[in-house]
Amino acid sequence: MMNSSTCLRSFSKLSLDRTAHASLTSRTLFAPQTACFSTSTGYRAQVTSKAKKPVAPRRGEKTLNVKKGKKAPNYDMGKRPNPGERKAQRKRIVLSNNNALAVASLQDLSPKNVLDPSIEGKVMGFPEEIVDALRAEEAFKPSQGWGLFRRPAALVRKETAQLATLIKAVEDAKAEKQPRTIRRLVTGDLMSGKSTLLLQGLAMAHLRGWFVINLPNAQEIAFARTDYAPLAGSDPLQYTQDTYTADLLRQILKGNRAFLEETRMVTKPDLPFPLPANSTLKVLVEQGMVNSEFSWAVFTTLWQELSQPGRPPIMFALDAIAHVMRNSDYLSAEVKPIHGFDLTLIRQFVDHLSGQKTLANGGIILGGTSQSNKPATPALDHFIKVAEALQSDPDNVPKWNPYLGVDQRVVDALQGLEDPKQKDFDVLRLGGVSKPEAKAMMEYYAHSGMLRHTVDDRLVAEKWSLAGMGNVGELERASVRLRL
Amino acid sequence: MARSELSRGVQAAAECLNIASRPRYCAPMRCAQRAFAPSTSRYLSTTPSRRVGIDDTPKLESVSQSLEPFTAAPPIDFSKTDKPSSMGNKKVLEGLRIVPASPSYFSAKPTFTDDYISLTALLRKTATLPTVTPAEAPRVAWKSIDQYRIMTNEPVKTQRFHKMLHVLRRLNCIHPTLIPDEVVQAMKRFKKDSQPGDIVSPPGVLDEWGRSRGIGRRKTSSAIAFLVEGEGEVLINGKPLTIFFDRLHHRESAVWALKATNRLDKYNLFGRVTGGGSTGQAEAMTLAVAKALLVHEPALKPALRRAGCITRDPRKVERKKPGHVKARKMPTWVKR
Repeated sequence: MMNSSTCLRSFSKLSLDRTAHASLTSRTLFAPQTACFSTSTGYRAQVTSKAKKPVAPRRGEKTLNVKKGKKAPNYDMGKRPNPGERKAQRKRIVLSNNNALAVASLQDLSPKNVLDPSIEGKVMGFPEEIVDALRAEEAFKPSQGWGLFRRPAALVRKETAQLATLIKAVEDAKAEKQPRTIRRLVTGDLMSGKSTLLLQGLAMAHLRGWFVINLPNAQEIAFARTDYAPLAGSDPLQYTQDTYTADLLRQILKGNRAFLEETRMVTKPDLPFPLPANSTLKVLVEQGMVNSEFSWAVFTTLWQELSQPGRPPIMFALDAIAHVMRNSDYLSAEVKPIHGFDLTLIRQFVDHLSGQKTLANGGIILGGTSQSNKPATPALDHFIKVAEALQSDPDNVPKWNPYLGVDQRVVDALQGLEDPKQKDFDVLRLGGVSKPEAKAMMEYYAHSGMLRHTVDDRLVAEKWSLAGMGNVGELERASVRLRL
Repeated sequence: MARSELSRGVQAAAECLNIASRPRYCAPMRCAQRAFAPSTSRYLSTTPSRRVGIDDTPKLESVSQSLEPFTAAPPIDFSKTDKPSSMGNKKVLEGLRIVPASPSYFSAKPTFTDDYISLTALLRKTATLPTVTPAEAPRVAWKSIDQYRIMTNEPVKTQRFHKMLHVLRRLNCIHPTLIPDEVVQAMKRFKKDSQPGDIVSPPGVLDEWGRSRGIGRRKTSSAIAFLVEGEGEVLINGKPLTIFFDRLHHRESAVWALKATNRLDKYNLFGRVTGGGSTGQAEAMTLAVAKALLVHEPALKPALRRAGCITRDPRKVERKKPGHVKARKMPTWVKR
């Protein structure tokens, strides 16, 4: 595990300013790799081995072959990728395809039309500044088909419109000085567009001038690839993830730059570093960014600032939520697994999701589930099933299977899903798109030149059926990716 | 020698005329068509019974009309033959002409030749009737050569049999509304017991919910499809198509009957599949859906046949044999 070595490393670096590493772009990939001091005898070991071993011929080089009848193995001489290159390739996010045609009829989302019910069923483009913000927040996923089209656009489906009404409800409540925190878990089948809905929610929040915090993948938080440290004075003991939080602050700054630049601090927090009085929030965030050991303190200060009256509502999203609904891969000092809820960032999210805390200026807490990469979380699955049953078939609500191991903390957090009176906490179930929606999507594909068919009702009906009653991902796969 | 044989035969015939009521061999029931009534014909038959095989079909009318009832020759009394024949017998013999019952009496395969001759005679008789093209003629399963050989107990040559079949097919091409009953009866002898289209499965019906049901099988999978008018929703074992079948190919296979006939958006499909792997399950669904679709729209059968949704694929895993490593694979040959 990373823990001991990285902790040691962090410890050794405590005194050093991290500004030198300010150009990091991703949280987990680029933990600093140089150690300050070393107890290894690496140099000596290298020298002796060099002296003794004869130099083996390089791969692909021709050598004298004395073995009769045996041919030298035919290595292919292609260049091997450098370390990390393949992963970078895999994780690369391409948002435009220059070979695809620009769709002239494509409208952009704007602060005005985004909450308008008339855009439902249309494909809408994301404006450029929003794309940058979403990209910084890692809201685009590599597996989504953004790289197939000229520029990012997404269908405003029925569920997106529902989310828009929620955003409108929060804004209306804020206008009436009765802030409302709406919590939703986005569920649905494999490739039904859950992450895309999350992305659309973030985009809408950006357009409406909300403050947006996105944790793109819960697995990255829970799978013990970033450093962690116990939070002093917390009971029960919580753990901060400094590097991760510092990087989250960087993303927050990129995503909400305008707001952070113009807003000045009103609280007088007790911070472990000097901060000029009446400084902007940007200065605060930058401090947390560059000095990761202060990042959690900065995050909580920022949260307090956002809780002040007059501040915008918050959109707080976390995707692949199942990874934190169980023990994380981190170990405590007693070599016991640390529960996902004991990580400070997750605790912040779960407290608001469960309704234990509310947002002072209102907002939406969005949790996304994943079907392709999900650990076994019986409690979460059960509550999702119950909430879905309450929506569709209230007489047939499933019962808890007593033979399954129960995680009481998850049960406590998600209890609200069982309560039909709690309108603010619910699941947002994504089914297939309707045929008119599918037609709008396929017309967009055809206009982009990626689907070479006349899009008529017959083709739409055929693809719609083959895509499992309008599963968006399958629809895209059947009509754009696989050309049969 | 030969002469004495002939004279003996003639004498036997004469005896036969003299003795009218004589205990006769009682033929089994299957030869019942040959009447034992005393003939009024002037001809005499000396042919032995040729109905030796398991031939229980009626003989062709045209031939049997000219045939004489068979009577065995009386035992030859040698004491009589030695005596000089009387004048009365001589007179009778002068008026007799011994003709074989069948024109193919001297042939090695008399039944076959009889059949062939009678069929050609029939064809000659009906040659002027209007015909239809062979494709439009009613489908008939003719007896195979082996079946015919067993029926007649004669070593019929393939080529000759095919010549006869040629005549039969020509007879079958006579316009169905004008075909004489004589020809129909004559052809019966050469048809197999079961004809294509004999077994008609009961037509499918829609139940009270408007569902039709079809069953299909492939490899070791078996599928039941319920088809109801709708807008193209598909559930297989309660799951959407995309969840149940990973591969797009399998999805297309499962609804191929609907897709090939442009009916994908007209029906809702519920399937239950058991057994086998995903390919077998998908292709079992193809057949099941096609059968269920035929209940709604029977006229689609040719289109579905062209799409390959009607015929069950009979291929299965070949069994392993003793001495083989797999079904066909033999162990590696080792010298010793």
